[in-house]
Amino acid sequence: MNVNNFAAVPLLGTLLLSLVPPVTQAQEVRVYSGRHYSSDNAIYERFTKATGIKVRLLESNDSAIVERLRNEGRNSSADVLILVDAAKLAHATELGLFQPIGNAELMRDVPLSLRDPKGRWFGLTRRVRAFVVNPKLVNPGSLRTYADLANPALKGKLCLRNRNSVYNQSLVADQLILRGQPATRSWIRGMIANLADPVYTSDTVLARDVARGKCGVGVVNSYYVARMLSGQNGAADKALAARVRIVYPNPAHVNVSGAGVTRHATNRTQAIQLIEYLTSPTAAEGFAQGSFEYPLKGFGNNPILKRFGPFTPDGLSAAQLGAKAKAASQLMADNGWQ
Amino acid sequence: MSAAGSSRRSLLWGVLLVSLLTLAPLVALAWDALFGGALQGVSLGSEGRLQVGNTLALVAGEGLLGGVVGTAIGWLTALCSFPGRRLLRIAQLLPMAFPAYLQAASLIDWGSRAGWRIHGLGWAIALLALANYTYVFYLSHETFASSGRRLLEASRCLGVGPWRSFGRVALPLALPAIGAGVALSAMEVVNELGAVRLLGVPSLSAGILDRWQAEGDAPGAALLALVALAIVALLVSGERLLRRRSRRWNLSVGSPQGPLWHLQGWRAALAMVITALPPLLAVLIPCLWVSSGWESLRQQDGTELAALTLRSLGLALAATGVTLAAALLLAVVRRWTPRPLVQQLSVIAGLGYAVPGSVLALGLLILGGPIGLGPLLLLLWGYGDRFMAVAKQGLDAAFERMPPSIDEAAISLGCNWRGVLRRVHLPLQRGPLLVGGLLVFVDVVKELPLTLSLRPFDFDTLAVRVFQYASDERVGAAMTPALLIMVLGLLASAALIPSLDRR
Repeated sequence: MNVNNFAAVPLLGTLLLSLVPPVTQAQEVRVYSGRHYSSDNAIYERFTKATGIKVRLLESNDSAIVERLRNEGRNSSADVLILVDAAKLAHATELGLFQPIGNAELMRDVPLSLRDPKGRWFGLTRRVRAFVVNPKLVNPGSLRTYADLANPALKGKLCLRNRNSVYNQSLVADQLILRGQPATRSWIRGMIANLADPVYTSDTVLARDVARGKCGVGVVNSYYVARMLSGQNGAADKALAARVRIVYPNPAHVNVSGAGVTRHATNRTQAIQLIEYLTSPTAAEGFAQGSFEYPLKGFGNNPILKRFGPFTPDGLSAAQLGAKAKAASQLMADNGWQ
Repeated sequence: MSAAGSSRRSLLWGVLLVSLLTLAPLVALAWDALFGGALQGVSLGSEGRLQVGNTLALVAGEGLLGGVVGTAIGWLTALCSFPGRRLLRIAQLLPMAFPAYLQAASLIDWGSRAGWRIHGLGWAIALLALANYTYVFYLSHETFASSGRRLLEASRCLGVGPWRSFGRVALPLALPAIGAGVALSAMEVVNELGAVRLLGVPSLSAGILDRWQAEGDAPGAALLALVALAIVALLVSGERLLRRRSRRWNLSVGSPQGPLWHLQGWRAALAMVITALPPLLAVLIPCLWVSSGWESLRQQDGTELAALTLRSLGLALAATGVTLAAALLLAVVRRWTPRPLVQQLSVIAGLGYAVPGSVLALGLLILGGPIGLGPLLLLLWGYGDRFMAVAKQGLDAAFERMPPSIDEAAISLGCNWRGVLRRVHLPLQRGPLLVGGLLVFVDVVKELPLTLSLRPFDFDTLAVRVFQYASDERVGAAMTPALLIMVLGLLASAALIPSLDRR
């Protein structure tokens, strides 16, 4: 290889790069999304077909996306921000990343507990923090509320996801609001004393271990088990999932994924159009259906979700959960939740 | 000579610019940490101490395991002869093609399907050693092969057995190279994020990110980052010290020719097992995963996969070009200007390697966001910053081996510095440049946190797609892009074979 070949390397690279970025269209909306479900793309495509507005997407994890938008400020080209946890949505609102939209249609379609009261973001789907139970080890009837997980009778039978999971942080925030700090602290200590195995880093791996009897009960988002039951993860996972039961505590902690128009959006009209479309009863159901989440209202038409039965939300708002997020994470750390 | 001197001064400015560019994101971070939040009540806390302890345990455990495995394989393939030696030596490049986070994700998922829980510090050490022992192997093999044979021959003539000659002659000779390899791999361990997080080991790199992003505690994150940087600074200075010593050794020992130690019977079998095991494991883990999850492998959109691959390839090529050019500039100026300032700047320019990618991404966002710098430029800046040390490593060593009399001869024959560079250095440094370039290429293809945080719209790469599917616990869907990363990594590693074979 001679010198000219070396000069060709960056040249070729730039050439390739210049080929790849897509051409700009007249009508488009640019989305930063913390959701990453391949089924979402089908909904975006339907939106483009219906409106002629192209959706340009950047999917990443919630924290990275919020940090990016915050630093880009005025220069950001994002029009819509989608996040997957109530506390994260509240945090982004606090940072001033959204702008309020007083849109009657949105206010009507999205229940008050699932959106920002000032219209800065709107819920898209609901997910429930549920018990996954192995009926051979633990009687599903004995589990009625999250508090039951600290019952000493479950010693050596409980499995939990790690503290890093935002879903667990929001669950603890939820309990902090409903039951106060002393009760929540002893609840966490009780659960940690009941652990069968060190905390998990994945809901699916946890659900498999419940099915195999390594744990009697675990706490997961129900859609992970629904996905296993659907056969999307293969026949082995489907058979394992058939051995477990999903139990919804009463009342249940319901988390949301939601979207808002960014403060410095250049395509504001198109952004509102997209959010209207995503929250409209038909599309919201489609959004939820592909990922086995629940739509904003009702329990959807999915046969697997129907088998799980209905649940009663505890009705806490994302703003309430967000306000307690930091305290929740600290309480978990202080009481041995790794 | 004075004309040459003044035109070289412009090169000095170039070095200053490169060092500034690499240092800027770190300074921005420190600034943000110090003045962005109230600096009060900052402490490690019990959690911080746990994270520091875990990182130290990872560094020590991985260093020991990777050091022993890498040295053993380096010695066996350099100085012993047994069936399949050449092939097995080349096979040591295989583990490089597999990113540690991918190995961890596939092992955990496969284990969970089979009913085993893969979790905790022990597994993290084993997987990180598997992913990083190549550094020790590569450097120790070089030393054993180039300087060991004659001395070993002499020691054996004097009646010293193979084990004692290894312990008393070969090992002390290679110790600096082994130490340098261990230091390099330890830096990888300090900023490893995906694998340790998946295995449930709370480490410094994860702690920095969590404090910063999840808890909004910038000063606390900066404190952890300082601890990480201190560990890395120790490693860097250790590596430099050892390299200086190894250079002296290389000068004192002559020709690389000499007989190999012929292994027979069970000894040969054992040597084969030891050298074959790590590459075999590296390939086996993803294969097991593919076989257990085969049915969940979806029919995937071919054009989309092609686009993902093309973007990964394009980004890696562009980043390689940028990084190599900057590394070459640093190495050349270092050679021509032996001022302490230049030497120090050159060290500083390599610091980005020590910073976790996710932290570097934050620094770049703080810098580039407000002025609206294009995401692709920012991304290339990040890659260059992160992987400068990788490109510099081989180049610096190669320039050190080249006698300065060559430059003097060229200049006395009327060449200016551009001529020396074009007609003398580049042809002579073709090998190290190629090796450095390929290492950067493989690293960029595997890189995740920078790409994830900085890329433009509609610009997913293979690594990004793997992460998205895996973090959504859709391991089956992650399989095809993961396999494509490995193919790119393998192709690039294959190009390294000649450099290994030459020795």
